[in-house]
Amino acid sequence: MRARALLIAAALVLLVLPFQLGTSALTTATFVVIAAIGATGLNVLTGYAGQISLGHAFFLAVGAYTGAKLGEDLGWSAALWIPAAGVVAGLFGALVGPIALRLSGLYLAIVTLALVFIGQHVFFNAESLTGGPQGRAFPPVFTEPLALGALLIDTNGLYYYLALALLAGATAFAWNVRRTRAGRAMVAVRERELAACVMGVDVRRVKVAAFTAAAFMAGASGALYASYLSFAQPGEWSLLLSIQFVAAVIVGGMGTVAGPLLGSAVVFALPTLLKELPFLPQEADLASIAYGLLIVVFLVLQPRGLAGLLNQPKEAHS
Amino acid sequence: MTEFLQLLFQGLSLGATYALVALGFAVVYRSSGVINFAQGAMLLLGAYAISWLAVDLGVAFGLAVLAATIVLALGGAGLHALVLRRVVGQPTFVLVMITIGVGIAVTHGVEAAFGPDRRLLGDPWGSSAFEAGGVVVNTVKVWGIAVTALALAAYFAFDRYTRWGLAMQATAADEEATLSVGVPVRRVHAATWAMAGALATLGGLFLAGFPGAPQPALGDAALRAFPAVVVGGLGSPVGAVVGGVLIGVIEVLTSGYAPESLGTNFYAVAPYIAMIAILLVRPYGLFGARPVERV
Amino acid sequence: MNALEVRDLTLRFGAVTAFEGVSFDVERGELFAVIGPNGAGKSSLFNALSRVYEPGAGSVRLEGRDFLRVRRDRLAALGVARSFQNLGVFPHLTVLENVLVGRHHLMRCGVLRGGLGLAGREERRHRAAALEALEFVGLGAHRGTPVQLLPYGHRKRVELARCLAMEPRLMLLDEPVAGMNAGERAEITALVRRLREERELTVLLVEHDMGMVMEVADRVLVLDFGVPIACGTPAEIQCDERVIRAYLGEELDDRVAA
Repeated sequence: MRARALLIAAALVLLVLPFQLGTSALTTATFVVIAAIGATGLNVLTGYAGQISLGHAFFLAVGAYTGAKLGEDLGWSAALWIPAAGVVAGLFGALVGPIALRLSGLYLAIVTLALVFIGQHVFFNAESLTGGPQGRAFPPVFTEPLALGALLIDTNGLYYYLALALLAGATAFAWNVRRTRAGRAMVAVRERELAACVMGVDVRRVKVAAFTAAAFMAGASGALYASYLSFAQPGEWSLLLSIQFVAAVIVGGMGTVAGPLLGSAVVFALPTLLKELPFLPQEADLASIAYGLLIVVFLVLQPRGLAGLLNQPKEAHS
Repeated sequence: MTEFLQLLFQGLSLGATYALVALGFAVVYRSSGVINFAQGAMLLLGAYAISWLAVDLGVAFGLAVLAATIVLALGGAGLHALVLRRVVGQPTFVLVMITIGVGIAVTHGVEAAFGPDRRLLGDPWGSSAFEAGGVVVNTVKVWGIAVTALALAAYFAFDRYTRWGLAMQATAADEEATLSVGVPVRRVHAATWAMAGALATLGGLFLAGFPGAPQPALGDAALRAFPAVVVGGLGSPVGAVVGGVLIGVIEVLTSGYAPESLGTNFYAVAPYIAMIAILLVRPYGLFGARPVERV
Repeated sequence: MNALEVRDLTLRFGAVTAFEGVSFDVERGELFAVIGPNGAGKSSLFNALSRVYEPGAGSVRLEGRDFLRVRRDRLAALGVARSFQNLGVFPHLTVLENVLVGRHHLMRCGVLRGGLGLAGREERRHRAAALEALEFVGLGAHRGTPVQLLPYGHRKRVELARCLAMEPRLMLLDEPVAGMNAGERAEITALVRRLREERELTVLLVEHDMGMVMEVADRVLVLDFGVPIACGTPAEIQCDERVIRAYLGEELDDRVAA
């Protein structure tokens, strides 16, 4: 019951946030929510199924460039290119997954590492799609503010609410998965792979499904992210971005419901926060150091993440 | 033909360095099942440590290398004692993620501390070279190959002929059993990580040698040792060496011969593509084996 | 047709022979136990029979069909369920969820249907079945508890429930009372006996604890150093000289002679 009350309170806060925040804070918040969509996907892959992927940035990129191709170059509406971005990224996930996952789990980490580098190489060189090293523009979802009676929501706010809606959908999807056959199978594979196999779980299929779901959500997140940025270079989709997502999932709490959003709030708001603190050297990339330290500290001291601290149920119980 | 020999030589020298780094991976994986994603960061730290000692502090180069190697060996053992031991019993993927975290923190920490510019390594060889049969042979590369060969020989002798080497093999095969016969398994693990740190330093030394330099991008270069260890087969020291040399040769030959259509800097991803291609045919690498399943 | 027919089964690890020349039949519906002193090869035999190890020679037929070609994840579909010595329970799942993993091969919904909320009917149906198995082992009240919070004896019961929920025809139990105190042992022994009596199951049991085996088994195979030395009813093998010698060693002979 307490969990439910917390949930409603959190939802209310999230809904009225745009009216409380200044523009720059709202921008950060929007990025956080958009990232949380991708983090939800990674949470399914790493938190439920226990697979380490360093390739999340690649799937974000696939989603982003799919959105660019369909939205900007072909003029489709966002209602089409956002889901399409997810689907295309998911397809890539379904393609890559079997290759990496026919081996022991740790190979996935290395193959996804390769994926990020190979992906970046392709993106730097495929000028017609990505604009080459200079980068390219990405299609906007909203161009005008929306008037709802007395309320005026500017484009910033509109992006925020769209991201929030998508996050809610992704979270509901992930929570449903966890409560049903597929989610249990993922956790079983993570904890005792051999036992799960002998009980009839098709281990490879479970891992590939998790990988595909993660890729799908990363694709949608990436498309929205690039759209909100409005312009991005191939250098955006780097190993560091992948690691930010890994950090977000760990800091938030692996396998939890609130984890992705909590972790994203910490990880993706961190650079902005660090810039505000005057006593820290400004030229240094302190955020990246922080990500690494956060990962280590949380895994050693608080493996249940922030969600664990808040006493959220560790995983959604049946 | 000369060009090919030139590239081949450079490939072998790069390969020797990758072999060193890959050996560091293999040693850790064999004894604990952990892929040490921090190996590249340790390499970067090693190179910078040597540079700082030799250039900033004016320490004699040989001493600087020795000191850096010791510091990193202690660092590796320290990482195990302070961090990894605390998560004993957790699934392997937790430990691997910790190494990812350490790797990222150290890589960017080094850059924050020393800045983004290239530094001088402080080595006595610099760009000096001599000619042999039309091929330009850099002194530093010769040293690299020689030191690698020595280090590998030392490792294999250690592994085969000493008690500690035997202890490491036993710990890798069955930790509980080894523990129960009185082997100080914790110390064995610490020694393994210390070895990884030392190997990383040596790898860093030569990767930062001419025409390279201690610079942040070295971390990325070190990551290319991953394909080396995967191609060779995780946990196989012989595989690490073969894989390292293979990947080094592939990388340099690609940089020399790759057509424009494959994009600029294709050589940087060639190792990863080679790795995936080899994994498709030999899922456990050239020398790797199916991991033993415990019931 | 026998549930299981094993002929000349042999397993070697390099130069070490785990067991060799093992042959026996398990009739439908009987509870067949494999016992032997430490190192006798019973666990290896068990793992060979549950497709974890690949035997070097011999044959195994499950209800007349060649069993040694079966893929590990097909065991459940063929009606074979096995328990694990170091627990095949999943620590972070609840008791009910653990048992539901046993139902996995009987269910259909994947990530897509599950995620979209379309798995409701399937979940309800199979939860009922899982709960029934939990009630059988007496753990219905603990259904929502994360398994890692339960004591060892309870976890073993969860595992038994999970095996039961798989609706197997052949159940392979790997030392079900290992590491238990007298009370827990009695509980599990009673459960196994009830399993045998109330469900139409064939059970193959590997065990160390003679007392338990004598109580529940219909027939017993005794292994020593990887070689079968006796096979018969509990009464028969209890009096078998070779068996006594294997368990007690030469001591008894000397003591008797003195």
